Amino acid sequence: MLHERLIDALGADAVKTAPEDLAVYAFDAYTTGRLPAAVVLPRSTQEVSAAVRIARDCGEPIVPRGAGTGLCGGAVPTEGGVVISFARMNRVLAFDPARRRARVQPGLINLDLSRHVAASGLFYAPDPSSQKISTIGGNVATNAGGPHCLSYGTTVNHVLGLEVVDERGDVFHTDVDELGYDLTAALVGSEGTLGIVTAAWVRLMRVPEAVRVWLATFPDVESASDAVSAIVAAGIVPTALEMMDRIAAQAVEAAFHAGYPTDCGAVLLIENAGFEDDMNACESALARIARERGATSWRTARTQAERDALWAGRKGAAGAMGRISPNYYLQDVCVRRSTLPKALHAVDEIARTYGITVANVFHAGDGNLHPMLCYDKRDRTQVQAVIESGNEILRAAIALGGTVSGEHGIGFEKREAMTEVYSTADLATMARVRDVFDPARALNPEKIFPSGAACPEVKPQRP
Amino acid sequence: MTIDELSASLADAHRDRTPVTIVGGDTLRGMGRPPLADAIPLSVRGLDAIVEDAPADLTIAVQGGVTLRALAQTLARHGTQVPFDAPLPGEATVGGTLAAGWLGPRRHLYGRPRDVAIGSTIVLADGTVARAGGMVVKNVSGYDMSRLYIGSFGTLGVLARINLKTIAAPERTRLFAIRLPEHTRARAFAVLASLRVVPAAAWWVQGYKAQIDGDDGAEGRMLVFLECSDAVLEGATRELRSALGRAGVPETRVIDTGTRESFERAIDAYVANVGERSITYRMHGFVDEAEARALGAIALARQFELRADTIVDAMNGDVILRVSDLDARALGAKIEMFDDALHDLAPSAFVIAGAHPSRALLQVWGAAPAALERMRALKARFDPHGILNPGRFVGGL
Repeated sequence: MLHERLIDALGADAVKTAPEDLAVYAFDAYTTGRLPAAVVLPRSTQEVSAAVRIARDCGEPIVPRGAGTGLCGGAVPTEGGVVISFARMNRVLAFDPARRRARVQPGLINLDLSRHVAASGLFYAPDPSSQKISTIGGNVATNAGGPHCLSYGTTVNHVLGLEVVDERGDVFHTDVDELGYDLTAALVGSEGTLGIVTAAWVRLMRVPEAVRVWLATFPDVESASDAVSAIVAAGIVPTALEMMDRIAAQAVEAAFHAGYPTDCGAVLLIENAGFEDDMNACESALARIARERGATSWRTARTQAERDALWAGRKGAAGAMGRISPNYYLQDVCVRRSTLPKALHAVDEIARTYGITVANVFHAGDGNLHPMLCYDKRDRTQVQAVIESGNEILRAAIALGGTVSGEHGIGFEKREAMTEVYSTADLATMARVRDVFDPARALNPEKIFPSGAACPEVKPQRP
Repeated sequence: MTIDELSASLADAHRDRTPVTIVGGDTLRGMGRPPLADAIPLSVRGLDAIVEDAPADLTIAVQGGVTLRALAQTLARHGTQVPFDAPLPGEATVGGTLAAGWLGPRRHLYGRPRDVAIGSTIVLADGTVARAGGMVVKNVSGYDMSRLYIGSFGTLGVLARINLKTIAAPERTRLFAIRLPEHTRARAFAVLASLRVVPAAAWWVQGYKAQIDGDDGAEGRMLVFLECSDAVLEGATRELRSALGRAGVPETRVIDTGTRESFERAIDAYVANVGERSITYRMHGFVDEAEARALGAIALARQFELRADTIVDAMNGDVILRVSDLDARALGAKIEMFDDALHDLAPSAFVIAGAHPSRALLQVWGAAPAALERMRALKARFDPHGILNPGRFVGGL
């Protein structure tokens, strides 16, 4: 019945029902969920509405999906349902260079937007490392960050308005410039649990006149993170401030030959964009702090090609891990920037305790750690050690006043950890918003909120 | 006052279904519909603690009743700022400024107030105390409740604490006072948008002589504020002067002393009343339409024989229009019809100041938002008895 009705409404080519086709949608870039009952590939907002109505009629939940690059199961079904893939809604609908804004469909690939507007001297600032494949819709769902959100802010700072299909299949619009409640902000980062974004107005930025990229090497991760804390404490917020430890740098070099030194304990990749006149002063301030904190070398990327190579290496770092480990678990926590040395130390201790190799490559300037825990999934002891050490890292971050996700989201993978950061009252307050937008919990169920057993108060309200 | 006491007061009001009016510094009392006659004022000014000053993290946590001045003074010690840019900072509170959704003139450069909010503690109508976010600068753990409360006019809950990202204060600020003859205006506006060093704020002002620096004769004046490093300042100055010169502007005066005070006086002017003889509207929109929007509003005021003072934010497109008349009665005789006519021209115009008694009769919020029904549902879920600022916000939220 479900299949027939979806095919009637969207056409056979837009509905996948064969188990071998559905299997792909049970995964994201890390987690494994359950097979959906069907996958639809709508071409328009109307088709999204139709799919939602049919799914609801048939009692199926809805799971919206971008490129599936998430790591926490946000786009993966946990109890069947209809997956709505935005692969075919990938166009730039409008581009207004004078007003520096664009209206895009959710399936548009992040980097394709910046490419689309580049000739006008503009770019779209949020740049998750997955930007070559991840979509604007997915970025909106997770309030995606990236190296450059250090100075430009995360996705929510760049979304001006949304077109949304609600849990009944009706369409509504939000606009940050309208009075009333900031529904745009509520929807961004809501991981598809409050509505399904079918179009977004986004803000574009002017490409800066000058960009410099520097590399500083340190004897160890502690001294490098100490330097990061000192840079932030000095009030300096470069456009990006990234760290890579020796293991990560070796993997990246093996894969990309990007130009990272592999003989030091840690390397900082620092980018500043802005005015040419400011660059020398900025460089000397940064280099001075780096040296005071034990930097062993300081180097400027001289050419565009050199800068591009370094960034390609940084953004490909997770993929490069395949060179050193059959599997890895990428944790995402965020701590106060002044506690970075302590946090890195804690990660190191945890890894030692569990006998796990850990590689660090992360957004140091934001305090956003991404320890990659290496393991072999064929070895059940290692799997268990990784699960436990991943949880320990969450607890360590919370103990330092941090949070359980800086930019990847909660999905189903981290939802039980929400009770460690928030009180029942905090979560129940969030659930009030859910009650309004998705009273039946039909939109991406079993995500973000802890399972009922752990937190009964956040179960749906029966009116 | 403590957050627990605030919680207890609200829980009582919720139980007794007593409407309350949330009061901060009362600096934006000209916004929104007047409080119900039987609403009990609930002042948040006693929540005035700087909870956690964390300069090494470039963050700060303050209670809702902290004044903007107190916040700025604390941050100035570390050479940082939070650019809220709301009027009367000595009295305005952080909670009130955020609840009112105030948008300042430097937001094109530094972001909106909501974009520096990283965490909050809210007290809901039923007394529930709930936290969201934290003290980290990146966080996607659950819904972004803090931003939802910002701009909600105290109708979803009371902001008891807010955690903020701070930014380094600029090395240098410089004010350019510009006489702006009519024939140069359009080109001057266009020039500002394309400058290499984007001004921190730029206003085209007509009137407001008692509040805002400079003399405009009959033609209007422009105030441009640059904020940048020492290394950039002189080049930016030369660029600005020559660009404005090419636009036909006869004179650009450079002022380096007292620029911060000039800047604050100009923002204070947004809500400056002329006794009970004025009503001030705010109109948002695209920058490239701001001049036309202002001219249309000025022409309309003339038709009604009302005096018009205007501030046009040339970087963000906001138009501030203050209409006034010789006495309160003269204003009262025309203001309702003017209000209708202005909303035909600018449907989203909303009132931000004016002590005139007939303010209660005006469309003080302009057009309702597209998603009003959903907002109403949210209001009902957060404040089922409607005790928080009842009837005061847009669409009766």
